[in-house]
Amino acid sequence: MNGWTGQILRVNLTTKTSKIETFSEEFAHKWIGGRGFAAKILYDELKPGIDPLGPDNKLIVAVGPIAGIPAPNTGKTVVAAKSPITGGYGDGNLGTRITEHLRRCGYDALIVEGRADRPTMLYIEDDRVEFLPADEVWGKGTYATNDWIYAKYGKGVGVLNIGQGGENMVRYAVVRSLQGRAGGRPGMGAVMGSKRLKAIVAKGTKPIPQADPAGMKKLGHDDLKKVHEIDKQSGWSIQGTTGVLAWCNEVAALPVRNFRKTHHPDAWKVDGERLNNARIATYGCPNCTMRCGITIHDDAGRESELDYENIGLLGPNLEIFDLPQVGALNYMCDDYGIDTMSGGCVLSFYADAVDHGAVAGDIKFGEAEKFKKILTAIALRQGEVGNLLAEGSLRAARKIGQGSEAYAMQVKGLEVAAYNCKFIPGMALAFGVSPIGAHHKESWVITFELKQTSRESYGPEKAQKVIDLQRIRGGLFEYIVACRFPWIELGWGLENYPKYFNAVSGLNWTLDDFWTISDRVYAMIKLFWLREYPRTDRKLDYPPAVWFDPANVDTEGPIAGRHLEYDKYDGLLQHYYDIRGYDRRGIPTRATLERLGLVAEAKAAEKFGSLT
Amino acid sequence: MKITVKLIGPFVNQLGFSEKEMEVVPSSTVEGLLALVGIDKARPRIVTRNGRAVAPGEEVREGDRIVISPLYSGG
Repeated sequence: MNGWTGQILRVNLTTKTSKIETFSEEFAHKWIGGRGFAAKILYDELKPGIDPLGPDNKLIVAVGPIAGIPAPNTGKTVVAAKSPITGGYGDGNLGTRITEHLRRCGYDALIVEGRADRPTMLYIEDDRVEFLPADEVWGKGTYATNDWIYAKYGKGVGVLNIGQGGENMVRYAVVRSLQGRAGGRPGMGAVMGSKRLKAIVAKGTKPIPQADPAGMKKLGHDDLKKVHEIDKQSGWSIQGTTGVLAWCNEVAALPVRNFRKTHHPDAWKVDGERLNNARIATYGCPNCTMRCGITIHDDAGRESELDYENIGLLGPNLEIFDLPQVGALNYMCDDYGIDTMSGGCVLSFYADAVDHGAVAGDIKFGEAEKFKKILTAIALRQGEVGNLLAEGSLRAARKIGQGSEAYAMQVKGLEVAAYNCKFIPGMALAFGVSPIGAHHKESWVITFELKQTSRESYGPEKAQKVIDLQRIRGGLFEYIVACRFPWIELGWGLENYPKYFNAVSGLNWTLDDFWTISDRVYAMIKLFWLREYPRTDRKLDYPPAVWFDPANVDTEGPIAGRHLEYDKYDGLLQHYYDIRGYDRRGIPTRATLERLGLVAEAKAAEKFGSLT
Repeated sequence: MKITVKLIGPFVNQLGFSEKEMEVVPSSTVEGLLALVGIDKARPRIVTRNGRAVAPGEEVREGDRIVISPLYSGG
C-alpha cells in the first residue's frame, strides 16, 4: 500500500510483549493517519469511564502518509490518549525524529498499552522491540534523559520522553523530544508517566513505501528550498511567532495578569524584537524550512527555546517582563516536561486566586523567583500547593471555591492559549469548540475578525471561518501530519499538500477530498466525548466566564467597557452547530454521522449517550 | 499633523525602525501612509488605527497611533 506502511505496532508494557497488526486500504483512506488514526483507535478500544492515568488507557503515537519524507515541515508526530486533564479525547503534535524512524521501522502508528512494573524505555529498531530499564533516568529532566539516550544510541535516533512532570502525573505534562520540542498538552506526558514509560526510542532503516519515490524526492527537496526562500524574503523567522506579541498588545488581545488585562506598557520588554536581539541559536523540527525555536540564555545561562505562547503565558500573563526570567520558567517547564501554556495559566490562576483572597498563599504577580519555586513544587507534586496546582486550574478552582472557577482560564479543563478574548467573539468560539479543550492550533480567527468583519459581530461568517480553519489546521495538517506554518504564516499554497499526498500514495485526490475526512475526524472526537460525558451540554463549549464579566472590562484602550455577551455568544455557538450539523448540545446528529460514514460508531455511542 | 507609526515583526527589519513619530499632511489616508513608510503593496498586512482595523481609504487624524503588521495567523 503506497503512502502507508500498512502496519501498526502494538506493545503491552504489563506483559512486555509486542505484535504487528495490519490495517486495510479502506481504513487508511477513511482516517489517513495522525489524529484520524488516533481518534478512531481510541474510540474503538477504550471503554468509557476508564481512568486516564490507569493501565487501561492507551497512548497512541501516529504519523501520516507524508510524514518523515523530505518535504516542507513534515517532521511531526501526533501523540494521543484519553486526557487526564479533560477526561475526553486528547492529543498534540511535536517535531521529532520519531516521525521518520517510526515509518522506517515499518509502522504508521504505535499503540502502548498496560503499565510497566518499573521505569521503562521502549526501544524499537526495525523489527526489534525491547523493554529496557530506565531507572537510571527516572527522576531526571527531559534534557538529561535525552543526553542519556543519545550517549547510548547516538544523536540520530528518534526520541519521545518525559520529565518529572510526566513521572508524577501532572495532568498537563507533555511529551518531549528534540531541544525545546513538546506536544500533547492535554496530559499525554502524564499518560506515559502513569505507564512508567520514561522514553520511546526508534531507529529505522527500511524505505517508506511511496508510489513515486523519485518524483516525491524531487518535489520535496525543491519545495523545501522554495519555502525556505519565501521565509528569507518575508523575514518571518526574524521574530518568529513572537512577532505577534507586540500586535496583540496594540489591539488589546494580550494575556496580562491572568487575562484580567489586555495590554501593558512594559510588554515591549519581552516582544519579538527583544527576543531576536537576545538570540543565541535557532532550532527547528526535522524538515523545517522556517525554524521558529528562537533560543536565548535564561537567567541561569541555560539555553531556553521560546516562542509566542511560552512568552505570552509565562511573561505578561504573570506580569513578568524580563526575558531571561521568562526563559528560566520556560526552561523549567521543558525540563520538567510540563506544558508551558497550561503551566503559565495555572500559575496565573493561583496568583489571581491569592490576590482575590480566595486562597491564602505567598505569591504576587511579577514574583518570578516564587513562581519558579511553585513550578518545581508542581512538577514534583510537593506540598499542598504543588499537588493542588498539578491538577490543573479547573480542578484547583473547584477545590478552592470562592468563585475562582470564573477565572480559571480553561475550556473543558484545558487551559487557554495566549490570546485574550475578552472582546474577540470568534476566537472565543475557536477556544470553545476546539475538540481537545481550549487550543488555538485548531482555528485562529483574530485577524479575520478585526480586518474582515468586526469585533462586535457574532455573525455566522465567524462560525464558518472557525470551521473552515478547523478543517485545515485541526483536520488536514493533523492527519496528513505536517506543520501548518508554511501555509499559515508564509502563504505556501494549500494545494501543495495533496501533491505530496498523491506522490506518495499514487492516488489522485484534491483538497476537496479531504474536507469530509476532517469533518469525520471532528465528529469521531465528539462521539468520544459523548461517551465520557453522556449528560454533555453546550455549556462545555463556552469560554471562561471572566470574559463575560462586566466587572472585568478594560477601563481604557480600544476595547474599553466591552466584554463578551452570553446570549450573543450562544447565538454564535448555535451558528457553529447549525453549519456543522450538530444538535443543541453540540453533538453530531444521526444524519450528520451517516453522511460522514460513522453509522457503526454512532450505534456504539448510543449505548452510552443519546443521539438526535 | 503628527502621528505615531509602529511596525510589527519583519517590517521592523525591512524598514529600519520600530516606532516613530511622523509628520503627515492633513487628510492623509492609510494607503498614502503605507506608501510613505515604504510598505510593499503586495505584502498582506493589517493596519490598525488606535487599536481598530482600518481600510486603506480611511483618513488619519492628529495624534493617531497607526500600527502596521504583517498578517499573523496564530502560529
